Amino acid sequence: MRFVLRFAGVLVLPLAILLFLQWPLREWVQAYSRQANDLGQILFALYVSVAVSAATRSHTHLSAGSASAKRRLAPWRAWAALACVGPWAVFMLWAASGMMRLSLLGLERFSETMTPGYFVIKLSLAILLLLVLVQAIASLRERVSGHGQ
Amino acid sequence: MSLLGPMTGLWMLLALGVLTVSTGLPVWALLIGVSSLFAAAGLGAGVMDVNILSAMPMRLVGLLENDLLQALPLYVFVGMLLQRMGLADALFSVMARWFRPLGGSHALATLGVGALIAPMNGSVASSASLIARLVSPRLAHLDAGRATALASAAATIGVIVPPSLVLILLGDAMMRAHTEASSLSGSALGSARIISTQDVFNATLLPGLCILLLWSLLARWQSRHLKADIPAVSRAQYAVAIVAGSVILALLAGVFSGKLFAVEAAATGCMLLMLAALLSRALRGSDWRELLADTLNLSGALMALLMGATVFSLIFRLFGTDRWILAVLAASPLPPLLTAAGVLLLVALCAWVLDAFEMIFVVVPIVAAPLIAMLGDAQQVAVLLLLVLQLSFLVPPMGYAVMMARARFGRDLSAADLFGALGPFIAVQLCVVMAVFFAPSVVHQLDAAALPEAQDSEQEILQKMQDMATPPAGEGSPESNTLTELPTKGKP
Repeated sequence: MRFVLRFAGVLVLPLAILLFLQWPLREWVQAYSRQANDLGQILFALYVSVAVSAATRSHTHLSAGSASAKRRLAPWRAWAALACVGPWAVFMLWAASGMMRLSLLGLERFSETMTPGYFVIKLSLAILLLLVLVQAIASLRERVSGHGQ
Repeated sequence: MSLLGPMTGLWMLLALGVLTVSTGLPVWALLIGVSSLFAAAGLGAGVMDVNILSAMPMRLVGLLENDLLQALPLYVFVGMLLQRMGLADALFSVMARWFRPLGGSHALATLGVGALIAPMNGSVASSASLIARLVSPRLAHLDAGRATALASAAATIGVIVPPSLVLILLGDAMMRAHTEASSLSGSALGSARIISTQDVFNATLLPGLCILLLWSLLARWQSRHLKADIPAVSRAQYAVAIVAGSVILALLAGVFSGKLFAVEAAATGCMLLMLAALLSRALRGSDWRELLADTLNLSGALMALLMGATVFSLIFRLFGTDRWILAVLAASPLPPLLTAAGVLLLVALCAWVLDAFEMIFVVVPIVAAPLIAMLGDAQQVAVLLLLVLQLSFLVPPMGYAVMMARARFGRDLSAADLFGALGPFIAVQLCVVMAVFFAPSVVHQLDAAALPEAQDSEQEILQKMQDMATPPAGEGSPESNTLTELPTKGKP
């Protein structure tokens, strides 16, 4: 997981380069700016698919409530998080499976530019949901084994 | 009467609010948990169809392919780079030096740094954290309440001054709300051009600058008798501050004038900062690793919130609560202005406990369309919503900017101390809110400047928008939805 997080973290660099390049490509070269945008979208989708679980691991998600409420719920936190996102992730994976299978089998392209790789965006959703599920279960296991916060 | 009906969305909001405050669980998880619970109840009661819920993945794919959202990690990255490279420190030192003849130089420099950095930063939380860290040692000559007030106020400038992430996302939400308000039966907005993010930028600039100017006068007046040591500034610091300040201003001008898209401005800022970091060797290998990890984490937190809000708003709408609210507001016996003021007050209360992103993704989609229908001016509504958000972030003890700044200063401040210190800033803010509310022409002063270009190049704008449009117009792609409607709305 650590390797995946490190790899995903680096993706923001090519994303910045590609989105920056859109401007000179559109204004001066007058070509390939849409392709740069398509590639940027693929990188962005992959980035986000890992980022959500990375935020969970690092406890970066925004939350409100008093410190005492957080302390009181601490023993149940991992259970509550799994109860919130677990069923949703499973349902989403089930609901998206048909759409993803079709996209993957047909190696779906971006419809306007015909740039290959659109299927990666849909695949990213599956990765995101799987990682959310795995992270919720891992947090619970850590809690049960006494390694969690 | 069935428990599940058009009012169910309100119970969802109530459950969310109670659980958010009482459990301290991540808001995104609660958004999804509450939505799942009510969706399951809706399915069980036969109010909802599983086939409609199956459309949810497409809405999330729409988020992953949204052009505007690509700016999100870039803004977060820029904010992190600004924090770690010491650029904010150099800007502060140079500004404090420049403002020395005016008196209150540290207070003015705090607001100046906020004006330059907050719009380029990822979020109010990130700006508050950066500014509080930066100014806390330098405002030691002020009492803690005043220092916290200054840092809080400076951090919220990014809410109203373009091209902040908050503004970009609100611009997108306003496009959808305006489209929705135009399609309401009996709406007088039917033939009006749907506003774009650029229109929101134009509308907010003057009120934003007005607040900045009034706050500066206030800060200068409050600090006029205080003496502070202003250390000498090295040539290197001058050079860094001038280059960084010029680049930030050039990017702001590029976005404001429409030469650069906001995403490209963020990417350009990223590239320039990365280049500067590499050339100056300001960051070591471990710094880069931390920087990338922090960017990933914060971007993930924001995107998770967005996903949670998308799921929440879908279920909320499936119960028909949005239509119910519209009907209730339309049937209000009060005059439209008074009803609109009541809605804005509710928004202010929500913003007191929620972050800007939670507000934009959860609350604004519910209230913006009715507000536009009542006030008849989408740009005015956009500015009012932003001003109200900014105001709420400044109200202690729960206001987001105040909470962040207070935590950073690490001083024991009572709510009364904070109210005393923030009171004048809040009063200024309220005056500007009133001005925009009763004189909407304030937000249209820059329309005339933007109009000739827009008229000359309407075809070009449409072409650009088509170029920008997300390829397969997924149901959940808000940008593409709006774009497909724009020509028909613009040309009745």
